[in-house]
Amino acid sequence: MNESPPTVFLVDDDPAVRDAVGLLLRAGGLTVEGFANAAEFLATDAVRRPGCLVLDVRMPEMSGLDLQKKLRNDGCPMPIIFMTGHGDVPMAIRAMKAGALDFIEKPFSGELLLTRVYEALTIDARDRCRQAQREAAATRLSRLSPREREVLDRVADGQYNKTIAAELDISISTVEIHRRRAMEKLEATSIADLIRTLALANDQAAR
Amino acid sequence: MSKPVAEPPDSGESRWPIRPLHLTLIGLLYLVFSLLWLLGGDRMLILWAGGATPPLLVEMLKDLLVVSAGGILLYLLLRVYGNVVRLRINQVQDLRLARIEEQARRTRDALENRVRERTAELLAINQTLEQQVAARTQVEIALSDSEERFRQLAEHIREVFWVYGIAEERLLYVSPAYEEIWGRPVQSFHERPLDWIEAVHTDDRQRVYAAHLARQQLGRLDEEYRIVRPDGAIRWIRDRGFPVRDEAGYIYRIAGLAEDITAHRLAEDQLRRQQVELAQMARLRLAVELASNLAHELNQPLAAIVAYTQAGLALLRQDQADPRALTGALDAVVHQGLRAGEIIRHLRDLVQKHPDARTALDLNALLRAVVHYAQLELRQANVVLNLELADNLPPVLGDDIQIQLAALYLARNAIEAMQDAGEPRRLTIRTTLQDSGMALVTLADTGHGFSTDTADRLFQPFFSTKPGGMGLGLSVSRSIIESQGGELWATPNPDCGVSFHFILPIYGRRHE
Repeated sequence: MNESPPTVFLVDDDPAVRDAVGLLLRAGGLTVEGFANAAEFLATDAVRRPGCLVLDVRMPEMSGLDLQKKLRNDGCPMPIIFMTGHGDVPMAIRAMKAGALDFIEKPFSGELLLTRVYEALTIDARDRCRQAQREAAATRLSRLSPREREVLDRVADGQYNKTIAAELDISISTVEIHRRRAMEKLEATSIADLIRTLALANDQAAR
Repeated sequence: MSKPVAEPPDSGESRWPIRPLHLTLIGLLYLVFSLLWLLGGDRMLILWAGGATPPLLVEMLKDLLVVSAGGILLYLLLRVYGNVVRLRINQVQDLRLARIEEQARRTRDALENRVRERTAELLAINQTLEQQVAARTQVEIALSDSEERFRQLAEHIREVFWVYGIAEERLLYVSPAYEEIWGRPVQSFHERPLDWIEAVHTDDRQRVYAAHLARQQLGRLDEEYRIVRPDGAIRWIRDRGFPVRDEAGYIYRIAGLAEDITAHRLAEDQLRRQQVELAQMARLRLAVELASNLAHELNQPLAAIVAYTQAGLALLRQDQADPRALTGALDAVVHQGLRAGEIIRHLRDLVQKHPDARTALDLNALLRAVVHYAQLELRQANVVLNLELADNLPPVLGDDIQIQLAALYLARNAIEAMQDAGEPRRLTIRTTLQDSGMALVTLADTGHGFSTDTADRLFQPFFSTKPGGMGLGLSVSRSIIESQGGELWATPNPDCGVSFHFILPIYGRRHE
């Protein structure tokens, strides 16, 4: 499902900065898309694509900090690197507390920005991978029948087949059948595998 | 022929005034009898001499007897009569005496009465006098008490109490505080009545002397001036006088109080100095803000230059340099470098053009700039901004940085006032041209507003209703606006919130 390559989404109202930073990032081998303001960025499907945000703090209409807040509220985990024209400490603190990856001052060295951007893309890829695993686990879990789920929950709790049979008022062989089918459906090869899948699925459910 | 007369010892009059007459009468009788006897004397003599015939003798004796008897009778009669007369006289005299005595007694009694009355009168007068004296003494005591009280008051108050006599043309009384404040003896007034004016600071002397002359006319005085003490120290004095009228309503004295207001003056000066310092501090803050703004503006082209250059370098290192891309990047670097230079030149123009001077200002443009500075705060507080700027507003006279600062303070104050208030939060900034030749700026918020209690203190330094507020913004803003020849005040809005208004003079119009 992740067809598009990881992209750096660059939002800055200054066309020169946008152009220059874009050139720099492209020279670093990255795919870059530039936006003049937050609204322009939000109007596209960029939010759902893999990548990271390089954001100017001070922009008309919606500032970088406002956009960060909105993305977090919408549950978008995309890593954000802020660029600022003046070192405003309280603003930097706010941004970092809200989960920004970094807050770098203009003018900055290209290396620093590139390092941070690579870092951000790695984090995003990892996040997306985990998310994919969580989603897969949840999908697999949803294939189980209610009875299979009941049996599986007890297996995960470490109960013996005998106990499960007594509790659910079924024969031990029935328990064994449910258990084998559930393992097959979850594509789990061991109990540890099963528990990991369950945990991922629970994480997804909690989101 | 006089007879010794028994004179009454207590009377000047003869007690017997009839006696000589009486004797004369008897003498006459004897003379008559002697003549009669002489006429018939020879017989008698014969009788007498020679044993006269008895009849004749008898006759003679009879005659003599008759005569004697007559004489005796007459004598007796006279005697009796005399006694009677004497008695009468005595009686009369006694009566008269008694009457005199009575009169004398009466007179004496009257006298005595009068003396008694007079005495009583005198006693009464004396008593009255004594009472009066007693009353007088009491009054005197009371007077001296009141005088004492007055003296105590006059001599112990920190102010100098003085009384000036119009007719006397000099100060009649000066309380001892004079010595303490003026550092000169009170005695010097009596010796040199114009001593006080010599103590007045030379800069104030003429004005004070004029006030002194006016005082004699009007009976009123209210002057503040400096005095120089003999030790060279300068004190500020507030001198006030009030007319004292006589029964006819004429001013004959002026009573006054002169107080040492040096400490008060110093405090005022200090407050003013502090306000100036605060304004300077605030100015500095704005300068820092402007500098930070400038830094941001400069950092944009700098960031672009660095990024272009590094991109170019990266391309060159990667050995895949497209000359067109490199040319483009280098062109952009040049362009951004020029842009940075432009920003700096613009700043230099700004600084050189307005070195803290009052010039013609476009108030609307200034307010737009202020709004730009406050943009972030407006957004953060979720405040909707309404700009209602008057068309064709003539330029005002003022120092742009100062006025920007005051307007920014007011805008921030309005935003902060709305922080905890409900929605909608609206800040309206309005400009109006007034008939009076002033431009009016109004900043209306929809915040909590203020109570009448705090209304009076809004503009006092260090007064704040905001937690953590320094309470300087409004007082500094007011001092700034007033330093620009304007006024700043606040009114509550009819629905909610507060409006702050300030006026500034229109450029090129005469204002007092």
